Amino acid sequence: MKIFIRKKHLYSIVTKLFLVLLSTATFAQQGSLPPNNSKLLGVVTDAVTKQTIPGAVVAIKGTTHVVATDEKGRFEFITAQKYPYTLVVTYVGYKTTEVVADGSPIEIQLQEDINNLNDVVVVGYGSSTRKNLVSAQSTIKADEVKSIPVASFDAQLQGKAAGLQINSNTGTPGDGIFVRVRGTTSINASNDPLYVVDGVFLNNTSLQTVNTGGRATSPIADINPSDIESFEVLKDASATAIYGSRGANGVVIITTKRGKFNDKPKIDFSVTQGVAYEPKGDLWKLTTGPEHAEIVNEFYTNSEADAIAAGNTAGAATYKYLPFRALTDNPTATPAPRGLPGDQHTYDRLDELFRTGALRDYSLSISGGSKDTKYYIGAGYNYQDADIKPIYFDRGDLRVNIDQKVNDFIQVGVTNSLSRSFRNQARAGDGPAGGLFQSALHTPTYLPEVNADGTPARWAGFDNLQVLLNNYKVGTTSLRYVGNFYADVKLAKGLTFKTSWSLDYNNYNESEYWNDKTQLGAAPTNGLATSSITDASAWVNEQTINYHTLFASKHTLDVVVGNTIQNNVSKNTFAQGSGFPNNAYTDITSAATRTASQTWTKSDLASFFSRVSYNYDSRYYLEASARADGSSKFGTNNKWGYFPAVGAAWRLKDEDFLRDVSAVSDLKLRASYGTTGNSNGISNFASQGLWTGGAGYPDITSGGDKAGTAPQQLPNKDLKWESTTQFDVGADLGLLNNRLSLTFDVYSKITNNVLLQTPVPEITGFSTVYSNAGKVSNKGYEFGIDAHIVRTKEFSWNSEFNISGNVNKVITLPAPISEYSRDWITLRQGSSMYSFWMYKQLYVDPATGNAIFQHADGTKGPTVTTADRQIVGNALPKFQGGFTNNFTYHAFDAGLLFTYEYGNKVLNMNKFFGEGGGTRDANRVIFADQLNRWTHPGQITDVPRVTAYGNNYTLDQNSRFLEDGSFIRLKSLTIGYTLPAEISRKIDIQKLRVFASASNLFIITKYTGPDPEANVTSGSQTQGLDLGTPPQPHTIQIGVNLTL
Amino acid sequence: MKTFKKITYIIPAMLVITGIQSCKKFLDVKPKDAVSDDQTIFDKSSSETAVRGIYRGLAGDSYYGSSFVSIGYFGGDNVQWTGSQSIVQDFISHNVKTDNATVEGVWSGIYSTINRANNAIAKIPAVNDIALTATEKNQLIGEAYFIRALSYFDLARTWGGVPIVTTPTVTSSDGNNIKRSSLADTYAQVLSDLNAAEPLLPLPTVQNPVRANRETAWALKARYYLYQKDWVNAEKYATQVLGDVTNYSLLKPYSAWFANNAVATKESVFELAYSATYTNGERGSWQPPANGGTRQWAPSPAFITLVNDPTIGGNRNTIIAKTSAGLWYGNLYYRSPATDPAYVIRIAEVYLIRAEARAQQNNLIGAGSASTDLNAVRDRAGLPPTTAISQADILLAIENENRLEFSEEGHRWFDLVRTGRAAAVLGITDPNKFLLPIPFDQVTANIPQNPGYH
Repeated sequence: MKIFIRKKHLYSIVTKLFLVLLSTATFAQQGSLPPNNSKLLGVVTDAVTKQTIPGAVVAIKGTTHVVATDEKGRFEFITAQKYPYTLVVTYVGYKTTEVVADGSPIEIQLQEDINNLNDVVVVGYGSSTRKNLVSAQSTIKADEVKSIPVASFDAQLQGKAAGLQINSNTGTPGDGIFVRVRGTTSINASNDPLYVVDGVFLNNTSLQTVNTGGRATSPIADINPSDIESFEVLKDASATAIYGSRGANGVVIITTKRGKFNDKPKIDFSVTQGVAYEPKGDLWKLTTGPEHAEIVNEFYTNSEADAIAAGNTAGAATYKYLPFRALTDNPTATPAPRGLPGDQHTYDRLDELFRTGALRDYSLSISGGSKDTKYYIGAGYNYQDADIKPIYFDRGDLRVNIDQKVNDFIQVGVTNSLSRSFRNQARAGDGPAGGLFQSALHTPTYLPEVNADGTPARWAGFDNLQVLLNNYKVGTTSLRYVGNFYADVKLAKGLTFKTSWSLDYNNYNESEYWNDKTQLGAAPTNGLATSSITDASAWVNEQTINYHTLFASKHTLDVVVGNTIQNNVSKNTFAQGSGFPNNAYTDITSAATRTASQTWTKSDLASFFSRVSYNYDSRYYLEASARADGSSKFGTNNKWGYFPAVGAAWRLKDEDFLRDVSAVSDLKLRASYGTTGNSNGISNFASQGLWTGGAGYPDITSGGDKAGTAPQQLPNKDLKWESTTQFDVGADLGLLNNRLSLTFDVYSKITNNVLLQTPVPEITGFSTVYSNAGKVSNKGYEFGIDAHIVRTKEFSWNSEFNISGNVNKVITLPAPISEYSRDWITLRQGSSMYSFWMYKQLYVDPATGNAIFQHADGTKGPTVTTADRQIVGNALPKFQGGFTNNFTYHAFDAGLLFTYEYGNKVLNMNKFFGEGGGTRDANRVIFADQLNRWTHPGQITDVPRVTAYGNNYTLDQNSRFLEDGSFIRLKSLTIGYTLPAEISRKIDIQKLRVFASASNLFIITKYTGPDPEANVTSGSQTQGLDLGTPPQPHTIQIGVNLTL
Repeated sequence: MKTFKKITYIIPAMLVITGIQSCKKFLDVKPKDAVSDDQTIFDKSSSETAVRGIYRGLAGDSYYGSSFVSIGYFGGDNVQWTGSQSIVQDFISHNVKTDNATVEGVWSGIYSTINRANNAIAKIPAVNDIALTATEKNQLIGEAYFIRALSYFDLARTWGGVPIVTTPTVTSSDGNNIKRSSLADTYAQVLSDLNAAEPLLPLPTVQNPVRANRETAWALKARYYLYQKDWVNAEKYATQVLGDVTNYSLLKPYSAWFANNAVATKESVFELAYSATYTNGERGSWQPPANGGTRQWAPSPAFITLVNDPTIGGNRNTIIAKTSAGLWYGNLYYRSPATDPAYVIRIAEVYLIRAEARAQQNNLIGAGSASTDLNAVRDRAGLPPTTAISQADILLAIENENRLEFSEEGHRWFDLVRTGRAAAVLGITDPNKFLLPIPFDQVTANIPQNPGYH
């Protein structure tokens, strides 16, 4: 891999000669020297891996003489200094090392700095070091999480940072997930953090328009996780206020890989292959055909008895004949006889839906640099099957990052990422027609899959499973460009000007076709096709001026001022056709009936921001930042919002009383207070009073629709930013030479002027108006430990643990708001968000078999009114976190990551449908739990007597279906082997590692569904509703990483 | 190098200029698929579009497009529910709770339609456009009055007295101080709107049941007076409508008004039109999976027995059909795309209104009597004349005819409540259940809940 010749080439030949001559690892004194100047040759290596370190800075102590190591880790000095003299070697990620040079050549071994106090940390519009951070901020190295096979990088971060809650709501690869930084602050606006990739504000609002049962895709899946170097999670106001109106939900800064100046080309190649599956034992347990029939018959028997007892003759007639009776028994009576229970068969459809899917990932990158240019070129391909048919995701991508020094004071660079993601989608969520789980799970097991004449049978308003699996066509292609150009100009010493232009462009092309075998396309519809093309672009222009100065030797001042303007435009063209000649025609052109629509939306944002950071002697820190944002979304009276923050820190370690306490290697106390805003997720035109044009009606019979208009939305000229004020106190402690480091934070976030679709009296003709009403609080704590428990050459054990708890509370809300169907989830003053509003079933009366409910007045009984509905828990965990253990033993490495959550409630909606006591008869499956129903006096059970009357099975919001979703999950397990450096050198490669990894191997939970993290919709207002959603798969993979 | 130095200063200078470009203009973005509510009704065209928008509201999913109609038949005894949501079953078991989503949807859908009408009524009179003739202007305003009358009528028969809003909503606080009116006042509003509509609306020049004309207002007046037990006026207005034999007639056989994709037949006095763009919400709930529906709403066993009995149902059993698996389903709403009309007033109803009004006035048999009108409807269904003679028997015969005639339209529940027969026929013991609850989140000091609901 020799690229550079000339002087460097010669130099390398010379050093090779030394190696040959001496053939030892350490150099001995050698050669004659010029009379006055001594010449020192040296090499800098990693003390553990023995690999050379290019780019390390070597200085002769007490002089200004500094050199950098070349691409082979070598350096030379020609100096008048006399031996012995002291060299100081610094390199990012390693301890600064001083060695005494007493002759040439010399090898200097650097120890990795495990506390990384001097690591460069990316912050908003700048950088800092870990030591100097004033804010609460977590760093996640991409390498630590990349073995988790998910399409989008956010899903890889679960359990890796305190204060970051992540739940993958579905096993569909590339679907949106639930991400919260320090709780949920908003009701109708977005709660997702802001993702900034190399300075580009990444769109993470799904562009999906086709119906996949309430789920939506994640735009983040367009980014290849392999290209990512690190994540910074910005949590407190001091860190996020500089992002102003985008900062209230936290900020995740993603840095992608770049080359290094003076680095030889490095080729990384990695291949991973694996499988994704769901063990059958984890799935739902269903009744057999005969069991189903017995329960339905019992339901009829009991219902008839109850009707007679109540004198309800119509009811008694309805339930007179058991549906499962001999075919010859009253054959013309309603319901028609279906045969005796014992004659029923059992059909297992789940087995046909679930499969062992394939996982493949290939990535190739080349990076390196010359004196003035550095580059990173990466390409990747990823393929993931879901654990159910026919869903899969694949993505090909290309990245080119280049930085060029134009001269001594100007540097320009580009970041380019281009990707194409394809999703074979399906309805795995809500809704009867086309729903995979409705067909596979919710169809009663006694009903056959084919009719007597051999045609596919459709039951209960659901599609036939095989028809769905074989005739499904929902395909989406996302073309995404995320790129940025910057120019960095050093105006004077310490003064830098930077300008950048960024673009996030996404062309999202969906097509859907339901042929005439499916329910949606069946005659008389005769095929239903949809084409939806969304084109979203967001550009940002920003200018910053950074000033850094050190004065009077102990005062450090950093100032950044800047402005940005942003523009987001989204366009959609939607066409639908039905009435196709036959299934061979699938383009809308061939459809007899065609409809189309078009939408366009745009928002602009203009901002000015600044941050001033000062520290005295790396002991006392003070930071202040502010941002002003003007948005087109808001009312004419309140377009501009102002977001200030202050932070302070005290590094006690460098005080006299701690400086010499060797057990304490670092101690810092931090505090910050500030305000950030949020406007994301609400309609771009939310403040305007609008009339829609979509209310057409004919003037005369058969005249066809003519245009019609109608009021659509009430105005609110006072609409403004929702603002979150956060107070944070934290401490960072390093012990035992930083082998043990601890971080602790407590915070209180109050969100005021919450953007809300506030209910208005419906007699006005409107249901809601966007307004700033309501107040939400999030209070919590975070604690993290990073321990290098064993650290020897042969064996190392590194352990990280984090825990965070958050209490969410809606402090004020003008009127309760219900979410999702049946008002299962409610928002009300004084309770947490995602609260479940239920009739609380206390127990089943052993004497009567009736469900006994808690009444509002404190009494209890089998009857209820709406007033008895109450909040029974919520979907948010009381605390959650992760536990990581990494081991190396000689050439072997192993990693284990556990994630956990405690106290979150999940509404098991599959069970709600499946435990209907026979009320749904042939329309729904019956779960095996139903077999525990009350059947005789004295029986203790929580499954009430089956009957159509009373409230045993007629209340949709029965708390019986609300379960504890706490869990501990083995999120990932990796075992690797790296070829020893001596061998890999011989075969001329830098590094070769083979590994096996697994994810989601087991979970410990009381939840009775397969996955307590499942959620039926991607809506921000609902969480903890498990219905018709594939569980996250178990995966096993093997792979190879090769570096040349 | 000198050039670079220059660039160093030119670039920031340029960018600062870009940055301070007119922020005000930059931050002013208007949508393209909707317009500001400052300028809504100002000329002929905008007046016409606003009135079409009222009809679309009337035809919306939560009103005549499905939900409101479903209250009418679920409350009766013709339709059963086979789906999973208890909110539907609650109508059948007469145990509707205050958090019932259908109830809330209908409440909000009707008031949304009223607000559209209020806009037209308030703004069209002030439109000064030469192209808009006085006749056209009157017609548009008349239509708005008519739809508002129908809306308050539907509110009154569903909830009793309701808040009366007669001005367009401009800001979100407009509804804050409006109190619930009495039932009498609500019906007074209906009559007042009908009286306003009647002279403004023209008599029909062509058969056009998708828009209201003066006769449509008469038909609604006939129904209104029937509900008020003002038999004389009910008969009078029914007779006025029935007198127009050019535009209305009972079609034979029964299925002629809905089968084979028929729309706007002479059967309809007032029906709402749908298209591929604006579909009727009923179909999906009625049709079986084989036809792309869910069949969650299905004819009840009792109704199937009745309608299949040729001496009772006559040829009206064409309104149900059977799947290959032997399941009966309702087949009034069957088209794809779902362009099935919503049948608001059919001429058969006007016959039965007059029959009932005459029977109540003891005009029982003979020419021009209750029996004549009843038999007209029976004859169309392929049935012999009624054998009922006494007033009680004829009234019962009319009630039963209504049940069969409008099995999948929203009449049965309201008829039984109106005639005081709901307790006897449906076995409802709590008279509070004759009215539905105000949606729980709409209840305020100004809008108290109906008795018997919590």
